[in-house]
Amino acid sequence: MQRTFVSLTLLRRMLPPCAFVALLFFARPASAALGGDATSIGAGQTHLLASARIERADTHTMHELQAATGTKVREYLGNDGQVFAVAWQGPFRPDLRKLLGAYYETYLQAAGPRAARGPVNLRLPGLVIHMSGHQRAFYGRAYLTDRVPEGLSTDEIR
Amino acid sequence: MHGRRLRRAGLACTSAALLGLGAACGSTNPGPRSNTVAPPADNVAEVSVDYGPPELTGYLNGLFATVTVCVPGTSDCQAIDHVVVDTGSSGLRLLGSVLTLSLPTWTDDSGVAVAECNQFLGGFIWGPLRSADLSIAGEQASNLAIQVIDESTYPVPSDCTGFDQSTAEALGANGILGVGSFLQDCGLACAVRLGARSVNPGVYYACSSTTAGGCQAVAVPVAKQLSNPVLFFSQDNNGAIIELPAIPAEGAPSVTGSLVFGIGTRANNALDSATVIRLDDFGNFLTQYPTNGSPSSAFIDSGSNAIYFLDSGTTRIPTCSDPFSDFYCPGSTLALSARNQDASGLVTVNVSFNIANARALFAHQNNWAFDNVGGPSTAPQSGTTNLDAYFDWGLPFHFGRNVFTAIEGQTTPVGTGPFVAF
Repeated sequence: MQRTFVSLTLLRRMLPPCAFVALLFFARPASAALGGDATSIGAGQTHLLASARIERADTHTMHELQAATGTKVREYLGNDGQVFAVAWQGPFRPDLRKLLGAYYETYLQAAGPRAARGPVNLRLPGLVIHMSGHQRAFYGRAYLTDRVPEGLSTDEIR
Repeated sequence: MHGRRLRRAGLACTSAALLGLGAACGSTNPGPRSNTVAPPADNVAEVSVDYGPPELTGYLNGLFATVTVCVPGTSDCQAIDHVVVDTGSSGLRLLGSVLTLSLPTWTDDSGVAVAECNQFLGGFIWGPLRSADLSIAGEQASNLAIQVIDESTYPVPSDCTGFDQSTAEALGANGILGVGSFLQDCGLACAVRLGARSVNPGVYYACSSTTAGGCQAVAVPVAKQLSNPVLFFSQDNNGAIIELPAIPAEGAPSVTGSLVFGIGTRANNALDSATVIRLDDFGNFLTQYPTNGSPSSAFIDSGSNAIYFLDSGTTRIPTCSDPFSDFYCPGSTLALSARNQDASGLVTVNVSFNIANARALFAHQNNWAFDNVGGPSTAPQSGTTNLDAYFDWGLPFHFGRNVFTAIEGQTTPVGTGPFVAF
């Protein structure tokens, strides 16, 4: 709790007032992520929060949380308020159960033992998951193919 | 497209030679590779690329060593074969199901038993830390923290997530010998406490009970974390070299090579003419593919079993159909070039490599070692840089090369680690 308080105080100095208000609203802990709504942004990650920012585009809104451990998590919301993509990069992988939300079990079932020992590239019905890197340098992204807004290239989800 | 790229690379090299730019061209490594593999010695362990543990289903491009672990300070020891030699991680991890020794518990500063959720790309391995003496070749490390891969001692915490690789079947080996460029598997991020709450990213856990929820994420001082065992050798402790001979294009059933400890500490581990590529804080350098292409973050990883790079859309190399869709299946073998660049941008070296049709390679059912198997990494290349899509120089890169990995902060004749050299 103390950690969150300190972070938010710092953020208040760094961010324009409107962004800070938005962060307070969106950073409320909840219980879902990919496929969830705005209240799920940052779920389970807020105690690690060191900084955050929000980027708005015509097609979507991107929320970026930078954990104190150095890992950056980005969550992409469509204009319908639903999270259609998540991406992460940094020395530690985020909690996949919290980040993939309802799709975590789908991921586990598809992940099974494979001949490849390297990056993960899963193309499932409605869901694409990529993960690469190595210990201390992780990168990954997951998106719901049917919910990526028209006009947004999936290359931009990163 | 590939032909054009190849011709272009060839032309550049020929014109360089014509202009007398021998050095520029000489940094490329064309044609069959050749290297000298060190014979057995005190600091040289024999390693092999083979089928893997006979009771399992076969391991593609697995580099294996045998390690001996003992109850600390005793002669109660066990040799464990088919432990994967992994320069992509740090620390020794052994399957609890093959370990017959009763090793002492490893505790945190409060005397509570420590367990670890070790993260791999999309997976994890879980189990308690134990204390052991390690010997490999003539090198020894005493009272080392190792991870015993075992879910029966403590239940997996709910925040230890991803695909569970804690079984023999999922691991495909009897353990992992992490001899990468990092001192510890986690480092400062797992050691720092902020206020009442640790910022531990869910790697180390203090286990006060064997019931569900009995393990809680905890900060562990760096000195008590799982560390690269090479550090604790009394000599040859600044890094290691993987030396594998060149192999035929159709692969080989089994290949023998050497894991040499120390860099520039003896006559048998000198850097000689190897190019030194310094690593950034994340253990990465840069690779351009093709050689004039956009740079990707890159690393060398003996624990990755193919050269994983870019994606089909960018490389124009088709992936195989299922069940081999993780690999590239070009119509004929492609001779490719990439340019490696260190984090400073001052050192560049061109590397040639082949990518063959993986399905055709795997049709050689007795072969388990291949120097020309590749596959897609992740994000497609867009824009001028692609620093979040890793170029993963896996085990195929090592055949016919001696590949050095210097540990961060350790001194070598060419400066302090971390770096790779080949």
